[in-house]
Amino acid sequence: MSIITTCLTNAVKKSRIKKVCLVSDFLYQREIVDSLEFDTFHVTRGRPIAFGTGLKLANPELKVIALIGDLITLGGNHFMHAGRRNMDIVVICVNNFIYPKIAGNTTPTTKVPFSQYAPFERPINVPHMAKSSGAVYVARWTTLHNSELTESITQALQKSGFSVIEVMAPGGSYFAGIPSLKNESELLKFYYENSVIKNGEDTRNVEIIPDNKIIVGKFFEQERPTFLDSYNAQLSRVMGDKFKPYV
Amino acid sequence: MKAGTHRLSGNEACAEGAIAAGCRFLGVYPIVPALEVVERFLKRCPEIGATFVQMEDEISVLAAVLGASWTGKKAMTVTSGPGFSLMMEHLGLGVMLETPCVIVDVQRGGPSEGMPNSPSQGDMMQARWGSHGDYEIVALCPNSPQEMFDFTIKAFNLSEKYRIPVVVMADEAVGHMTDNVVIPNKIELVSRKYYKGKKDKYLPFLREPALTGIPSMVDIGNGYKFHVTGLTHDERGYPIMNAECQEFCVRPLMEKIRKNVDEIVEFEEKDTNNAEIVVLSYGITSRVAEKAMDLATKDGIKVGFLRPIVVWPFPEKKVRELSKKIKAFVVPEINYGQIVYEVERCAGGNCNIIFVPSKSGAVHEPEEIVNAIKMGIKEEKREEVIQVKISNQQ
Repeated sequence: MSIITTCLTNAVKKSRIKKVCLVSDFLYQREIVDSLEFDTFHVTRGRPIAFGTGLKLANPELKVIALIGDLITLGGNHFMHAGRRNMDIVVICVNNFIYPKIAGNTTPTTKVPFSQYAPFERPINVPHMAKSSGAVYVARWTTLHNSELTESITQALQKSGFSVIEVMAPGGSYFAGIPSLKNESELLKFYYENSVIKNGEDTRNVEIIPDNKIIVGKFFEQERPTFLDSYNAQLSRVMGDKFKPYV
Repeated sequence: MKAGTHRLSGNEACAEGAIAAGCRFLGVYPIVPALEVVERFLKRCPEIGATFVQMEDEISVLAAVLGASWTGKKAMTVTSGPGFSLMMEHLGLGVMLETPCVIVDVQRGGPSEGMPNSPSQGDMMQARWGSHGDYEIVALCPNSPQEMFDFTIKAFNLSEKYRIPVVVMADEAVGHMTDNVVIPNKIELVSRKYYKGKKDKYLPFLREPALTGIPSMVDIGNGYKFHVTGLTHDERGYPIMNAECQEFCVRPLMEKIRKNVDEIVEFEEKDTNNAEIVVLSYGITSRVAEKAMDLATKDGIKVGFLRPIVVWPFPEKKVRELSKKIKAFVVPEINYGQIVYEVERCAGGNCNIIFVPSKSGAVHEPEEIVNAIKMGIKEEKREEVIQVKISNQQ
C-alpha cells in the first residue's frame, strides 16, 4: 500500500496538477495520510467512483483519483458507468489475487480466498472491462514496477477522461498462514518475476491465467470527449448562445 | 423564480424551493412519483449555473451528492421508497462525515416496488432507523405544495446548520397536488461554517463546544490536506479503533441534535388546551384530520389537533405534556402503524392511543377519523394501542 501511495505522490508532483483529491475505500494508516499532499476521503467500500463523480461535477477544477480495492465487485456498476460517461477520474484498482504457486491449491480469483474450497470462479479481466466500458487510458503493473507505475499514473493524471490502472499488490491478511510464503515481499517478488511487459497488447489477451505469466504494460489509450465536454456540447446545441458552458 | 403567487404542483414547488435555497447540484435516478422534481430542476439548471447527473443507481446518487456537498455546493437528491432503501448506505456515510445534503422522499406504497402511483407514509421509520449504527436524523413532513417549497428551504437550512443529511418526507398525494404557491421576496438562508485559520492547523472534526459543536468545513483541493473517513475517527479525521474514540466520534452525532431539539422541533397545534381527544397526524393525512376535527367539533366533541412539522426528532415533550391532559390520541397514518408507536412511547400509558390505518394506498376519509374520535370518548382506559377496523376490512 505504501508503495502505491509513494508512486501516487510522485506522480502528482510530476504532473504538476495542483487541485488533487483522493477518494478511496481503504483503511489508511496515519503515516500514509500524513505523507499525502492532498485532501483524502475514505468512503464506503467500492463506491469511490460514485463519490468522486459528485466531487468532479460540483467542482470541475478538481482532479479526482479513486483508489479502490473492491472495484469490480461492489464498485462494478459504478466502474462501468463512469467509463461510459468518460468521467474525468483516475482509477487505481488494487488487485489482490491468490496464486496457485503460493497458496498451493487455489486458482486465481478476487474475492473468495478464505475458504479451502475456493475459488472456482473465473476472475475478471479488469483492463478489458475498462476498455469495453470506454476508458481512455488502460494499464496494469505490479507494485515492483515502480517507475513504470509512477509514469502511468502521471500520464493518466495529465489526460482528461476515465483512466484505469490495475496494480497487482499483495494484501497482507490474505496470505497470512500460507506456509510456502514467508512474507509479503516474497509475493511482491513473485508477481514481479512472473510478469512480462507487453505495451500495447490487446486487452482481450491479458486475462490472468494460473501458471501463465502476468501480462503488464500500458495497453490502451484513446481520446474521447469527457462527461462535461458532452454535457456542455449538448446543452449549447439545445439552448444556443444563451448557454454558458459549465466548467 | 420571481416572487409572487404561482400555480405549482408539490413536486415542482420542491424543485423551486431547492433552487431558492441555493441548491446547485442534483443527483438523480428516475423514479415515480418524484419525476416532476427532477424535470423542473433540470429545466432550470443552465440558467442558474447548476449541474445534474443521472447516476446508475440510488446508491451512487447519494454518494455523488455527498461528494458534491464537500466541494461547497448545496446538493440534493429526490427519490421514492425503493430508491430510499438503496440510499441507506450513504445516509450513514453522510451522517458520519457530517455532510450537509437534502434527500426528498416522495413516499409511495411499499414494501419493495409497491404501488408507484399511490401515497404512503411507510418510510417514516426507515428515515429514522434505516442505516446501521447509531445516529440522529432530521425529517420534515410537508402537507401542501406551499410547504414543499418552504420545507425544502428549511431542510437546506437545517442541514447546513447542523451538518447533517435532512430528509423531506413528502408523499405521492402532496407531490402531485397542484395549488397556489407564494414565493416571498426575501428568503432567509443559512450557510455552513468555514474554517478560517492556518492551513496546516485545520482539524476536520474539531468541536467547540465539545459534544454539541458543529465542525467547520474547508474548500477542498486548496492545500488543507485533510482526511475524512467513514470509520470511527478522532478530531483529525484519522481512523482510531477503540471504545474511547467511538464515544468521541459517535456521541456528538446524537448530542448535536438532541441538545438542540427545542430549536429543531416544530409542530402546529389547534385547540389542544381544552381538548379531550387530540388527533396527531402529519403530511397529507393532516389535511383530512383537520376536516375530521371540524366535523367532530360540530358534534360537540372537544377535539384538538397536533401536527409534527419536524417528525424527526419527534416532538416528545409536547406529546408527553398533552398525554397527561387528554383521554386519547387519535393517530391516522397511511401505513400499518409507524409513528403511532412513537406516540405510544411518549404518552407512556397516560392516555389511550387509537390508531387509524388507511385503506392501503389511499388517503383516509374524514369519517374514518371522526369515528375514531368518537371511539376515543367512549373507550375505557386500555394498555395497548387500539386499532380501528377500516371499512374494507372483514
